Amino acid sequence: MKLPPFSSSRPLTLGVELELQLVNTYDYDLVDSTTDLLRLLKKKGKDWDVKPEITQGMVEMATGICVSHADVFEQLDEIRQGIVECADRLDIGVCGGGTHAFQHWSERRIYDTPRFDQLSSLYGYLAKQFTIFGQHVHVGCDNADEALTLLHLLSGFIPHFIALSASSPFVQGNDTGFHSARLNSVFSFPLSGRAPLIETWDSFGEYFDSMMATGIVKSMKDFYWDIRPKPEYGTIEVRVMDTPLTIEKAARIAAFIQSLTRYLTLERPYSPRETDYLVYTFNRFQACRFGYEGVYVNPRNHEHRSLSEEILDTLNKIEPHAIALKADEACAALRREVLTASGDAGWLRQQHAKTQSLAEVVQKQCARWRA
Amino acid sequence: MMGHTQWLFFMRIALSFLLASLAGEGVCRLVKMPRITGYALAGLLLGPLGLDWVDGEDLPDFRFLVELTLTLLLFELGVRVSLRWLKYNPWVIASSLLESGATFVAVFAVLMMMGLEVKSALSIAVIAMGTSPVIVLRMVTEMRAQGQVTQRLLVLCGLNTVYSVVCFYLIMGWFQGTFHGQWFMALFHSFYLLVGSLGMGLVLALSFKLLRRMFELSDEQSAPVLFGLLLLLQALLVALELPVFLAPLLGGVLAKHFDPRPHLWPRHFGTAGSILTIILFMMTGSLLTRNEFMVGAETAMIVLLVRFLAKGLGVLLLGPISGLNLRQSLVLGVVLIPMAEIPLVELMDMRTLYPQMGVKILPIVFSMMNVLEVLGPMAVQWGLIRSQEFQEKSS
Repeated sequence: MKLPPFSSSRPLTLGVELELQLVNTYDYDLVDSTTDLLRLLKKKGKDWDVKPEITQGMVEMATGICVSHADVFEQLDEIRQGIVECADRLDIGVCGGGTHAFQHWSERRIYDTPRFDQLSSLYGYLAKQFTIFGQHVHVGCDNADEALTLLHLLSGFIPHFIALSASSPFVQGNDTGFHSARLNSVFSFPLSGRAPLIETWDSFGEYFDSMMATGIVKSMKDFYWDIRPKPEYGTIEVRVMDTPLTIEKAARIAAFIQSLTRYLTLERPYSPRETDYLVYTFNRFQACRFGYEGVYVNPRNHEHRSLSEEILDTLNKIEPHAIALKADEACAALRREVLTASGDAGWLRQQHAKTQSLAEVVQKQCARWRA
Repeated sequence: MMGHTQWLFFMRIALSFLLASLAGEGVCRLVKMPRITGYALAGLLLGPLGLDWVDGEDLPDFRFLVELTLTLLLFELGVRVSLRWLKYNPWVIASSLLESGATFVAVFAVLMMMGLEVKSALSIAVIAMGTSPVIVLRMVTEMRAQGQVTQRLLVLCGLNTVYSVVCFYLIMGWFQGTFHGQWFMALFHSFYLLVGSLGMGLVLALSFKLLRRMFELSDEQSAPVLFGLLLLLQALLVALELPVFLAPLLGGVLAKHFDPRPHLWPRHFGTAGSILTIILFMMTGSLLTRNEFMVGAETAMIVLLVRFLAKGLGVLLLGPISGLNLRQSLVLGVVLIPMAEIPLVELMDMRTLYPQMGVKILPIVFSMMNVLEVLGPMAVQWGLIRSQEFQEKSS
């Protein structure tokens, strides 16, 4: 397969995908009910975009093309209600969160499609370990070269996205000490991490062809990059976020990315360069491990500061753009979270401290998702 | 010092138990059949039809254990019946009423056609409504099954057990009325049994909630607290002369409703539960005598077929509208096959209370029960594999 041409899309439009957990209401473990839920949703006759994911017990919901924070929220809200209604009829719970707190990876079952079967035979247990739940945000770009530049500019803000969305402290029944442990599962894939610094679509096509020639990739989907272009949609897709516990939060993060994009494209404070990536994995690890408390190293002036300071500083810089996009309320809400050091990972840990039971934590996650 | 006969009795029972458990492991490893099918086969082999090591005479000695097993399992089953779900999806109740109602009507009709008198036909029809909680729960646990078919199997099993037991007591009240002519007392007694059971279920659910507030009952160490609570309930039910089956089941349903938090304790009842199940299965196998089997087998087979068709059609009709696909609805009809052991103890009482009717009913019911103790677990196993709801062993 050749790299498809990059379709043009309206700049600054958004598309949000959320991967969700389906659990039973008995001991709150993941339940293989994806097929049943999709069947009931289909009967509702709405054109909601809800798809299976790699293992049974996961489901992905997606908005159409959105222009604003309010738009994202309304679309997510409508689909969420539809999913919750169908889930109620099946007596299953739905929740956000980047990982299921105590599911056992070996008990997962691969959702039966040719692609998932092929992934499963290639990656073995990694495919089942991939039962993790992320938020993906697509940002529209009018041309391919712009998109690639934007991809590398946004790469500097990966730690921000991770810390703001982190909601996966528990894995396989244990507190990992991480705010986002979900990303550790992504890192084990051979083609994960950052995209190579290429800023024209022609050169990118050459890179893609040489990778194809080696036989290790067949399509863009085989790259598990933190941000990757989606030529069919004419977007770049930010993929590092955990699925937040509420759609309010998910919509705010999308609004933050939108405002940041506007800032980066209109003000173009700097151009991407390879040395920006020297600190990339360090910053990313700090954000996963410590959340807002992590260290952020500025690749340009080598200053070390806390990620919370860095996020607040970014929020200041993008404020006029947030106002222009009507995303200022969403950004203000994120600011309050950073200032009070509250987030989904912290909330989950609090619930666990209170109840001493991870099953009860999942139950409370479901309650938050409904509300 | 143990007397000579006591010593012999003990040895006989111990060997029987060991044989039954080995039979369970044997069929599981060699032919991949459910363990409980092995227990049931061993029960038949050890009973009057085979070696005659254990028979109905031994039942009183085990009555306490049999009832304890059922108390634990019925409470566990009750907890799986979510009233909230029934509110969100009333079609589940509708399909439950349809499958039980159809079973009752069809079995009653066919027995009448075969020339049984009304009372016997009624009794058997009522017993035929219930699906075996023991087989269902053991199979779901053993296969670590989860999914829509499993979920509905548990709920329909819980509900039809309730209908079956409630109707059984109403009918027994009616019999007493006609036998002794004391209508008021008889109906009052049935009423007392049902309302008393509901009351005790409520007490159980509330004390469960209270205890759970004080201790974390999901914790392995606290499982004995819950065990003690259920044991106390059993003692109270015996003292109040209430049936031992309805209260724990209703108590479980109410406990889940009052306290929707996750219930993790059944995992810790696992080993104790399986040991008690072996005893229960050994005992049912041992009840059937050759004579009874000869008398009852033919009718039993016809009733079983009619029962299977009625249940199958019932859930098939309302399956799709309640959110299942066609295949799941068909499979659900199959997994509902196992028949309740609940009336076992009542039937033993009936044998002494109404010997004439006992002679007519028991051969049929015991034959049905024994056939389904062998085939029922296999039907559930087939269904859960077919619907892909079992979990592969993690090792």
